[in-house]
Amino acid sequence: MAATKLSYADLLQTNNIMRCQGEETLFLGITRTVQESKFFPVSAYVMLGYLNAFYRYPALLRKVEAAMPPEEIADRIRNTNSKLKSMGTNWCMPNFYLLGREMLINMGVIRPQDAAEDVAYVLDFWRRYQLAWRRDDGHLTNLEGGHRSQVLPERQVQVMHADMFDCAEGDELHEAAINFTAAISQYAVLIACESRVCMTNHGPYNLGEDRELLVREFFDLGQGDLPWLDDIADELPFSRLTLATGVKDTHFYIVDDWGSYEAKPEYKAENLVTVGLYTSDDLSETHIPVGMGSREELTQTLNDYAQKLKDVTTKLWERLAGYQREQLMDAGAFTYFAIIRDFAHVAGVYDQEDWFTIDERADRFRVLLNDEYGNEILGALFVPLSLNSHQQNEYQMMRHSGMPKRTYSPIPYTVLQAEDDDYVASVGPDLSPGVTYLPEKVDRYWTTRGTMTADELNQATRDFTPRLAGEDLRYLDDAWVKYNFDTPLAASLYEIDQEQSRVLAGKGAGLRRDDVERLRSE
Amino acid sequence: MVKLYTDTDKFESHEGPVVVEAFHSALKDLVRSSLDKAGVSWKEFVFSKEYEFITPEAIAAIEQSVVESGYRYQTSAVISFIERPEAYSPIAGADATSDTFSFEHADAVTSELEDGRAQVGQGDNVATYAKNVIGTARYYRSIDDVMTGLREGVPANTVAIIDDSGGTLTAPIIEQFTGIVCAGGTVRSHLGILTREYGIPCVMNSKISGVVNGDTVEVGVSGAAKTTEAYQQGREMAVPVWKHASAS
Repeated sequence: MAATKLSYADLLQTNNIMRCQGEETLFLGITRTVQESKFFPVSAYVMLGYLNAFYRYPALLRKVEAAMPPEEIADRIRNTNSKLKSMGTNWCMPNFYLLGREMLINMGVIRPQDAAEDVAYVLDFWRRYQLAWRRDDGHLTNLEGGHRSQVLPERQVQVMHADMFDCAEGDELHEAAINFTAAISQYAVLIACESRVCMTNHGPYNLGEDRELLVREFFDLGQGDLPWLDDIADELPFSRLTLATGVKDTHFYIVDDWGSYEAKPEYKAENLVTVGLYTSDDLSETHIPVGMGSREELTQTLNDYAQKLKDVTTKLWERLAGYQREQLMDAGAFTYFAIIRDFAHVAGVYDQEDWFTIDERADRFRVLLNDEYGNEILGALFVPLSLNSHQQNEYQMMRHSGMPKRTYSPIPYTVLQAEDDDYVASVGPDLSPGVTYLPEKVDRYWTTRGTMTADELNQATRDFTPRLAGEDLRYLDDAWVKYNFDTPLAASLYEIDQEQSRVLAGKGAGLRRDDVERLRSE
Repeated sequence: MVKLYTDTDKFESHEGPVVVEAFHSALKDLVRSSLDKAGVSWKEFVFSKEYEFITPEAIAAIEQSVVESGYRYQTSAVISFIERPEAYSPIAGADATSDTFSFEHADAVTSELEDGRAQVGQGDNVATYAKNVIGTARYYRSIDDVMTGLREGVPANTVAIIDDSGGTLTAPIIEQFTGIVCAGGTVRSHLGILTREYGIPCVMNSKISGVVNGDTVEVGVSGAAKTTEAYQQGREMAVPVWKHASAS
């Protein structure tokens, strides 16, 4: 009798996800080289994060699901800015885990069939969550949507469309918006230890008149989970910010699963014509306008915030410049590995020890992770696919490269047969003890409801059910609105987002895009 | 000694990088010998008995043997060399005070002096600007370099010469640069993305030769920006970098 609980269908799905994700990983890698840095040992910490993901994600995701299934998590954060709606889930979650697995296969430490149930579980959790949070978009990933990321429902696009203020090159708001965007992007890369996981872009959404909406989101800005921000980030009032930008005469033809965009003609700041700013988190109903009372207020807010971001960037840079290598390794590895920790926050089961220590099963390999090995193994896993596990028969022509290679080792279907049950299904139900070289985290979290401890935050998220996730509204999407826009229930749905809108408060679900354009011009 | 599952591989290539092959080969030997010593099946070994044998100490011994053989790792992060100078190769010229250091990339396209300027290389343009940028070349390659810029300010009209395509090394001073020539990355690397946000002319993946601190350089950022398709197709789309003849 087979030892596995997996079905043939489970394995087919698992191997399909691996194949598709592997091909997209190659595409993303081709258009970006390995990100070296003189400051952080980037590739080395990346690999440490991948290994930690392999050993810890299965147990941590099972812990999350025991408290809340992935579909419900998606429904609870549908209206808000969340790292769980970024490259963190679009690409990072499955690929961090799989890249750690592939590294171990090439070390000879595991075989492709080892941890088969874990692999299937992690990828299935990911698939369920992705389908749920992207249900308005209807695609599993941006890749599947043709490198497009139209994830917002109409009601949210309408509010941004209506409330954004006009700007033009040379005016104060335009200058403030450009200055702010540069400052927050710079800060986001620094807090994320030379990665872009603390920011994303989604869209484009068609605003008409040759304008497209690109929504830019930023995470982990204030005092929160990241130990290296302790005390330093207190002066930043919001941990998450959403910048809505309308751009003229520019088509964002690629918004990929790393949250990067490409535009034709190329994006130029002079084409920025509207801007709006919002905050939100797991305890808010939807996006909360920031400085959106007037054009002047928004200009001032963006300028003030840009200056704060620059000040904090310098302080943080100086702190990180004083870190030892192992501290930089930890900070980077946690930035990667813990990119999905908000699953635990939303489910109300967050524990800093779970997400901000390196499991000793992964940590034993730390000594190998020098700069050169880190660069070479990461590079080999992404583009040349030069490791033994990557090689296939000579007839194969991999998507994007034409080479006889594949990124990930599929699980052999023979594990379904009784005579081939000599494998272990999981790395184990429990975490091993964890290691960190970073100072102990200060137990202080910025939220839209004020400052909390981790325990208070867990309790608050457990106690909070957004109106949108209530039984009456949970399953109402744009497809339902199409045929029911004139009902009181549709008005209730739109009211959540319109409540704090300067232009659309009380306007209901019947507006078309031209109506919104007319209202914003009045 | 026992065979590992992956020891039988129809398409095994061993074409991986040297240090990767060295570590992985030694790790596989460790796994084989550990499995032998444990005397159990693979099923009883993996994720269980293995932890008694494939220990941090055993893995450290593999790494130590590579260093003791005389191999020196290439340094990326400055801190790595500082903490383990016996294991890493130093970064040549990682010091802004050196006015004789210059990148000497074999692929740099160069030309004779013509109309007061000579091409000294090329790079992938991040974004197109109305005019080329002209400024004074200064290398920024280490934390000390940036700390100096932070403490004393970046001299006016500086075109930073960098080999770090990241967005963190120069974070506190990037706004002060007039232009950037980066010897690494692509236009989609963090430095490329940030310069686009800041509106700082920048070329990435640059190959240059003969540029030292204080030279007047011109970067051809009025040329076309390199596209994703060009990277995907392996198509060159570089713009020139010139050095101007000195006033003297």
